[in-house]
Amino acid sequence: MSANSLAGIVTVAFFGVLLCVTPIITRPTVVFGVRIPGDRAGAPVIRRERRAYYWRTAVIGVCCTVTAVLVSELGPWWPTRVILALELAADLGCLQLARKNIAAVKKTEGWFEGLRQTVATDTSWREDPPRFPVRWLLPALMVIAATVIVGAVRYPGLPARLPAAWASGHHAPKSIVAAFAFVVGQLYVTTLWTGMMLIIYRSRPDIESADAAESTRRYRRFLAAFTRAVLTLMALVNLTLLLATLPRWQVYRLSGLASALPLLPLLAGLVIFAVVAVRVGQGGSRLPRLSPVVNIREARLARIGAGPSVGAGPGFNSPARTDRDDDRFWKAGLFYVNRDDPSVMVSNRFGVGWTFNFGNRIACLIFAGIIAAPAGLAAIMLAAGT
Amino acid sequence: MLLSIEPDGPVPIYQQIRDRIVEAIADGAQPAGSGLPSTRQLAVDLGVNFHTVNKSYDQLRQEGLLRISRKSGAVVQRDAGSGPPDPGWVQDWAGRLRTLLAEAAAQGMPERDIIRYCQVAIAGFAFSAGEGAA
Repeated sequence: MSANSLAGIVTVAFFGVLLCVTPIITRPTVVFGVRIPGDRAGAPVIRRERRAYYWRTAVIGVCCTVTAVLVSELGPWWPTRVILALELAADLGCLQLARKNIAAVKKTEGWFEGLRQTVATDTSWREDPPRFPVRWLLPALMVIAATVIVGAVRYPGLPARLPAAWASGHHAPKSIVAAFAFVVGQLYVTTLWTGMMLIIYRSRPDIESADAAESTRRYRRFLAAFTRAVLTLMALVNLTLLLATLPRWQVYRLSGLASALPLLPLLAGLVIFAVVAVRVGQGGSRLPRLSPVVNIREARLARIGAGPSVGAGPGFNSPARTDRDDDRFWKAGLFYVNRDDPSVMVSNRFGVGWTFNFGNRIACLIFAGIIAAPAGLAAIMLAAGT
Repeated sequence: MLLSIEPDGPVPIYQQIRDRIVEAIADGAQPAGSGLPSTRQLAVDLGVNFHTVNKSYDQLRQEGLLRISRKSGAVVQRDAGSGPPDPGWVQDWAGRLRTLLAEAAAQGMPERDIIRYCQVAIAGFAFSAGEGAA
């Protein structure tokens, strides 16, 4: 078994587990990409579909991992990548099946009929915005700096032909581009993820209108934890790229399964990220309630001798409000398209994180740039003969 | 300030935003001198067009509740402690209040209930010292 095959097997197993447990970390009011009122979270159809999804994705994950182990004995590295693609497609199919069944029952039973569908915000988010933890960016930058320094020291002594960056077994003429290809990769990852996090810090917080103040507090903690997990993962990705480029600079030589060792930091980063995601949940939905909310209105009602129930009547901010049913803006439950929404990024519906608003022109341009940048870099690499 | 709107409700969104801000000023959540988010920020947070928020702010500015400048942004100009309002405004407000109460009376709501609802609404407001519903 080669290092490439081992990496392929671990990736198949990792994504199998990750996609199987994703419903756990998603908000209880967004089930398989379908918005539901809070009191429907325990509906029979949701319990049934959740159970079916766990079973289906678990079986898919086990089958794909076993198949990946078996085909890795054949020699070539690519069959494990094909299995990974098939696994992702099959899990996506399971998600769509669950989404379709829940959406059908939601529509038939009219789950949102008669409910006050609201969108809420807490302006304290803008008055006291969370600060991007710049210090957590330092490890990733220090790894890049270390890579550049080692590369600069080793470059004069490198042979006339270097192992190609993106295809094992091939060689390219010695050049700055060929030698520092992985540094370009480090810079791309660092710039992309930092830029995305900065956009997210300016984006709309994921607030539940039923309990806006509390969910704003949870979202703050979620964003802080998520950002630190992403920046840690980024530093470990950069470390993996450093460790992968050192053999090309003849600092050390790894052979056989040992050549998979540079992937360990990446694996550690993904595990850290997954643990944080499970602990906090999407938007902080798995965090415990932080503090009891002091209701000024109810305190004043008590002062004049009127019970809280009087203030809960129609026209007095009835607590029966729920998040707006915005399923129509979510294509396949995964892609957000809303031309009236000026947001560039919004919170994901399935899993943890954010997605682009594909109805926003700036978001589309940024997304195109993210795709075009590696394509352009690859073209430069090819032009340089790597 | 917690601000919630019903985007699919019968009341125009700009009117809802304006109403919620007026209520926040009356509640004491947005006292005079406090700032509001920029129109773009609030539009992003509510997922509405920024022209909609602009319209709300403009209405509040015309009503004398908001001061908008390029340097300091949107700032609340008046609250319960800013002294009595303009007599012309009171006359206009009394007319609107009469219509609102007439709606309740026309629908058959007893006088006692109307007064009770008024008390409950007023109980949420932050009047200046010495005033109030109690």
